[in-house]
Amino acid sequence: MAISKTDIEKLAWLVRLSFSDEELERFTAEFDEIIAFADTINQSIEGGTEQIRSVGARMVSFDELRSDEVAPSLSNEKILSNVEGYNGFFSLERSRK
Amino acid sequence: MNYEIVCGIETHIELATKTKIFCGCTTEFGGEPNTHCCPVCTGQPGSLPILNQKVVEYAVKAGLALNCKINTRSHMDRKNYVYPDLPKAYQISQYDEPLCEKGYIELDSGKRIGITRIHIEEDAGKLVHENGYTYIDYNRSGVPLIEIVSEPDISSAEEAKEYAEKLQLTMRYIGISDCKMQEGSMRCDVNLSLRKPGDTKFGVRTEIKNINSLSFIQKAIVAEAERQADILEAGGTIVQQTMRYDEKTDSVAPMRDKENSDDYRYFPDPDILRFSIDEEKVEEIRASLPELPFDKLKRYMNVLGLPEATAKLIFRYRKVAEFFQGALAEGASVKNAANLIVGAIFSNMDTEEEKELFDIRISAAQFAALVKLADEKKINIGVAQGTLQKMLESGKPAEEFIKPEDLAGISDETLERLCREAIDANPRAADDVRSGKDKAINVMFGYIMKKTGGKADIRKAEALLRKLIGS
Ligand SMILES: [Zn+2]
Repeated sequence: MAISKTDIEKLAWLVRLSFSDEELERFTAEFDEIIAFADTINQSIEGGTEQIRSVGARMVSFDELRSDEVAPSLSNEKILSNVEGYNGFFSLERSRK
Repeated sequence: MNYEIVCGIETHIELATKTKIFCGCTTEFGGEPNTHCCPVCTGQPGSLPILNQKVVEYAVKAGLALNCKINTRSHMDRKNYVYPDLPKAYQISQYDEPLCEKGYIELDSGKRIGITRIHIEEDAGKLVHENGYTYIDYNRSGVPLIEIVSEPDISSAEEAKEYAEKLQLTMRYIGISDCKMQEGSMRCDVNLSLRKPGDTKFGVRTEIKNINSLSFIQKAIVAEAERQADILEAGGTIVQQTMRYDEKTDSVAPMRDKENSDDYRYFPDPDILRFSIDEEKVEEIRASLPELPFDKLKRYMNVLGLPEATAKLIFRYRKVAEFFQGALAEGASVKNAANLIVGAIFSNMDTEEEKELFDIRISAAQFAALVKLADEKKINIGVAQGTLQKMLESGKPAEEFIKPEDLAGISDETLERLCREAIDANPRAADDVRSGKDKAINVMFGYIMKKTGGKADIRKAEALLRKLIGS
């Protein structure tokens, strides 16, 4: 899968980062390499994810699962501390389609 | 040209656990926005989801109640899609190893609608769109859901409604969800295509999303089947797309914002260990299930001998059924107990919700004590009804309201004296009975009931009257 400069521009916009033109070029190339690497890993494992899952995977028993007891949640201020909140909500300016 | 409907339903049900599926935040409905949240359910990097045991237990219960095979090994997958209601940009769900598979729901006709699978997953947050902004509340994010997928075995709008109704009733009965469609704790997606009778191939299907009432399921199917038939008749082709049912216009239209990719790039969630549930545990959960609603209905009719109409009024509310059975266990008769519940207790409960809650002030034992007085003919059914109302209002037992003279009953001598009086006071009616006009005996019943305040044993009185009249 080839990554285009436009893809990187879109991603940068989504995560609110701005890049210079050289940076964009560099990231596009690097991203392409990363994706290619992931593809290589994928192809090298026969049986795909099925295989990954069975490799050394520990299994938990029903009794080891978390019991259904309420724990305190975080305060609204804390939850919204890294974002622009509005009346307790996360707020997003509606994006272009 | 007639077409056959081929329909399957996917149902999402919110589980009534105390906490979310992967964190300890409360699942309580409502609350100020983003106050039931933590790093896990808002998808903060580095947070670790831990599966709630109750979610697995409830899903297994659902599976067993719907005749499914339970997979003793299972795991969670990531379903990737980008939308603001999903803070991680993936939903933790199950793909190729769902907890339950291959069950069915049997319709009244005997036809079985197959259940393909039941899997567990997390709910998404709630979005409010306003003034060019989207506001997000993650209180619902991470609330546990089960998704129940049916086979495309449904071939009419009526069957679809019956399927959903039976599903809802069963899930409520086993206590895993309140299944309130209006509040969104049960939501249905309907897949629908048409084909010519005899065709074995499926036509192109559409999906009607998020239907929130049983009757809308029925109406949406009728509307969509008509729309598809019109297109096919005109020589057109059906476009595979996601639709929305609009109850105001009773019509179906394509949904505008469709992030409609079917490629969710599922893969096993590396943060959550694969889990197992052994046969023994499954059997333990099976043993914890109550008698299932439609088994109960059959038993009420075939074993207890209740008329279908009465049985159907009682069985559908679990608490009512428990109260009824509690009274029987205390020795109350089936007939009087059922009639007093349906005739007297239900008269104070107008809504389905009230019957579902069945919040009453007397115990099954207190109720049984009253029913037994009627069973033993110590009071008649009218007195029983009146007393029951007073008991319900006050929460006090029957003896508070029944006077000793109510209970004394009418001695045989008194009854015989009254019968003679009744005949003497109504000579014409007595003649009529003698000449075969049987209904005339009611005149004398009226006399006796009036004199005794309704306490006479009417069957005894009838036998005596006939003897005295010589009919
Ligand atoms: Zn949480």
